[in-house]
Amino acid sequence: MAQANPLAARSPVRTLLTRLAPTLAFCLLVLLPGCQGHDGPRQGQVTVVFKHGKIAGDPESFARLIARFEDLNPDIRVKDEPLPATTDEQHQFYAINMEGESSDFDVLSMDVVWVPEFARAGWLRNLSDVLPPARRDSFFSAPMTAVTYGGNVYAIPWYIDAGVLYYRKDLLEKYGFAPPTTWLKLVRAASHIAKMEPDMYGFVWQGKQYEGLVCNVLEYMWGNGGDVIQAGDVVIDSPQNREALDFMKDLIFRYEVSPALVTTSIEETTRHIFGNGRAVFMRNWPYAWTIFERPGSPVRGKVGVAMLPRFPGHETASTLGGWQLGVNAYSEHPKEAERLIEFLTSYESQKTLALTVGYKPTLKSLYADPELRGAQPFMAGLYEIMEHARPRPVTPYYMMISQVMQPEFSAALAGVKDTEEALASARRQIQFILRTED
Amino acid sequence: MNLTALRNFKFLIPALAALSLVTVYPIVYVLWLSLHRKLLIFDISKLVWLENYRFLLVDTRYWNALKNTAYFTGVSVILELLLGLGIAVLLNRVFAGKGVVRSLVLVPWAIPTVVSAKMWEWLYNPDFGFLNYLLGTSINWLGSPFWALNAAIFMDVWKTTPFVVILLTAGLQTIPKELYEAARVDAASAWQIFRRITLPLLKPTILVVLIFRTLDAFRVFDSIYVLTGGGPANTTETLSIYAYKVLFQTLQFGYGSAIALTVFLLVGMITVFYVRLLRGGIEKAACP
Amino acid sequence: MTERMKRLAFYALVAATAAYCLGPFLWQVITSVKPSAELTSLPPLLPSEPTLSHYTTVFTQYPFLRIIANSFLVASSTTVISLAIGSLAAFALAKLGLSKKGLILALILSASMFPPIATVSPLYVIIRTLGLRDTLAALIMTYATFTLPLTIWVLTNFFRNIPDELYLASAVDGCTPFQSFYRIMLPLAAPGIFATSILVFIFSWNEFLFALTFTSTVASRTIPVAIALFPGVHEVPWGEMAAASVVVTVPLIALVFVFQRRIIEGLTAGAVRG
Repeated sequence: MAQANPLAARSPVRTLLTRLAPTLAFCLLVLLPGCQGHDGPRQGQVTVVFKHGKIAGDPESFARLIARFEDLNPDIRVKDEPLPATTDEQHQFYAINMEGESSDFDVLSMDVVWVPEFARAGWLRNLSDVLPPARRDSFFSAPMTAVTYGGNVYAIPWYIDAGVLYYRKDLLEKYGFAPPTTWLKLVRAASHIAKMEPDMYGFVWQGKQYEGLVCNVLEYMWGNGGDVIQAGDVVIDSPQNREALDFMKDLIFRYEVSPALVTTSIEETTRHIFGNGRAVFMRNWPYAWTIFERPGSPVRGKVGVAMLPRFPGHETASTLGGWQLGVNAYSEHPKEAERLIEFLTSYESQKTLALTVGYKPTLKSLYADPELRGAQPFMAGLYEIMEHARPRPVTPYYMMISQVMQPEFSAALAGVKDTEEALASARRQIQFILRTED
Repeated sequence: MNLTALRNFKFLIPALAALSLVTVYPIVYVLWLSLHRKLLIFDISKLVWLENYRFLLVDTRYWNALKNTAYFTGVSVILELLLGLGIAVLLNRVFAGKGVVRSLVLVPWAIPTVVSAKMWEWLYNPDFGFLNYLLGTSINWLGSPFWALNAAIFMDVWKTTPFVVILLTAGLQTIPKELYEAARVDAASAWQIFRRITLPLLKPTILVVLIFRTLDAFRVFDSIYVLTGGGPANTTETLSIYAYKVLFQTLQFGYGSAIALTVFLLVGMITVFYVRLLRGGIEKAACP
Repeated sequence: MTERMKRLAFYALVAATAAYCLGPFLWQVITSVKPSAELTSLPPLLPSEPTLSHYTTVFTQYPFLRIIANSFLVASSTTVISLAIGSLAAFALAKLGLSKKGLILALILSASMFPPIATVSPLYVIIRTLGLRDTLAALIMTYATFTLPLTIWVLTNFFRNIPDELYLASAVDGCTPFQSFYRIMLPLAAPGIFATSILVFIFSWNEFLFALTFTSTVASRTIPVAIALFPGVHEVPWGEMAAASVVVTVPLIALVFVFQRRIIEGLTAGAVRG
């Protein structure tokens, strides 16, 4: 009696299993992400894991590009995995995983300012042989500088970004202004038009305390002959830089062409304002152009793009942005990873990505490509801007330096600190970070 | 006796072992780290003795963070105490629905700090936030260097007043009812009763509240980190946030540890100060 | 007349207090059922047509269930471990013959004064060396220890309130100290244990600094970190964030309403009886 019938005993277990099945299935789905989609590797095939940020426009065309690579390289399967949403989180993801010598991914896409840091930490494979010196000239020089550390190439530029000036063609024409080449000309046009037009800001840009602020400020400093580090010396508190930062402050408080809200704005804030027809000028990256030209956009056909203005007697300069591809130093399939990078940075792939998702090519020759120019007329104008792009200080310590610059610039713009005091404090902190190594 | 004590001591071993491993050892280690120039990712680790502390002296960002922390602590603790005292006295009466109201008062305490920060960030939204709507203003609460720290204080006061109310209510209940009745017989006004009876007898509890709240406020991290991240222009950057950024955003473990250790020392000093005050307070309360 | 006015004023103040405490959360609830288009306009205060779409998004487009499961696992394991270790110590401090009890208790309490920021970097190094980065174990280990001072302090007070005779009687019956601990003392201190459990659980459920530092993927991410790093491609998805906050807060509010008395007991025992 007390002896349980094995058959009878099974049934509650089975009921339990049946009840748990959805939970188990759910757990499996959660624990084994990325199993769907691509076929598993066959015998003799190697899987290369590719980490990249969210593909902006159309993810389908990107999937087709990957499929083409797999057709051309039957021995390689590619598994692409998305990175977290913000660049800070992406950086932390790489830092934490590569510091743990993880080989979970082979190809990494990296923001332009990370390469020297990752190279110095020993996380990136030396790609100098993949991109021999003779072929380096076909890329824009700014991203090439950014991916070179200690004379070696550690990543290959994938697509490029640079700060540009957006302006309202129609309004400039209406009031008889040419696209401004110097900052003072911009101030004159902006204040005049903003006064005449109702509910209109003169000039919007990104002044919130974040990396975008550094990109903005450096453009004024470079455009006035200044820099952060020169020949190993920290020169961030030079008179030129002080003048540049003071000018940005003047844009808000003295000339009143920029609303106070720029000190809390990021790219999208300003893109919305300009895109709703509420600003004459905007500093932003090229991505906004395609959005403005969409059907239904209030500013469609009214927007022009120009190089950023400069201060008299100096060259215009745009901050370099964009993404680079590198190989994880702990990768188990470095050769295959290299082949994927070569494919993705090739002329054909860059052209496909430019046409489908709007990534701006890093290869100079693509800006003369007839098909691309036909589809995106403003490509021609971008060439010169990309030529004038400058990388932010190329040093393994960039992330630390940026953490110093962001609050100090922000404090100066918000009027919390005197410009001179903010820059001097930034210099002291950067010097402390760059104290002689070892 | 000694043998029993030794035998009984084994009950404490797990707790003491865990505490020394996860709290005491790290404090010693952080002191050691703070004497180094240590960059984890570049494998740089060099003993530089007091170099980090020397830089601390001239680091204006550090002094700014200390100033922010002190302001935040001082203002928020005072506001919490006043508001908490008011609510505690209010709820100390007998009335219908008291239990429900007491539960409602606990709600802000139970909400995760991070969630409450996100909640307030939305309330503070300059364009679509409820606060500007309610006040009919268009203030950029979190974007303006003047408002941001005060906005953070306001959020903290909301979040932590319940704790103060609970402790003070417990304190109020220890005051003998007869004292109040006697005062009423003497026709004392409500204010006189509060001044002469409630406040003096509540003093030890108030001191305990002050200790807990001051120490918590001085270590503030979550709420401000989520609400403003230390901005705008570092006007809300507290010592904990500055230390965290140096430690984990720029991975300078040496300097970050030096900053963190000063937080530890300051907290220790505050504790000693209060404990002295508390001892004095109790002695006075004992022999009036 | 004045008496009525006074009563009215009193209830008005009580109502204001309740509104002040509950208001911000109510606004979050309203936000969570507003259609996205209405989030960027005010007035109207209330949604024209309440929607649950933000809730479905939270559960279908984010690994939110997994994150809730993580938090639950961390908080409950922490509670069990902290209570197990803490009650042993509290029992010894309250009932057993030990020298320098006061000093030991003061030392344990002083550990709760340690600012987390001062211990987070060495703990990170330790956890990295142990290979525990991005695991729930790292969080459980840390939380269980950081809640020990509170657990021990509160429980010592509860054990002290149990008459010595009960403990002595069990000793006479031939129980070892450990047997009388779990046969006699633990059941008697059940209310205290329960009150402490709620406090420890809420602490672990809400902790942010260590969770932010020790975890990097969804495998070990807990609710506060997930909410703080709520992903938005271009703009903050306020509706979804509100829905997520409501989901994680409602259990806590339920706890507060059901166990209000116990929580207050635990909190006051932790602070005042010093």
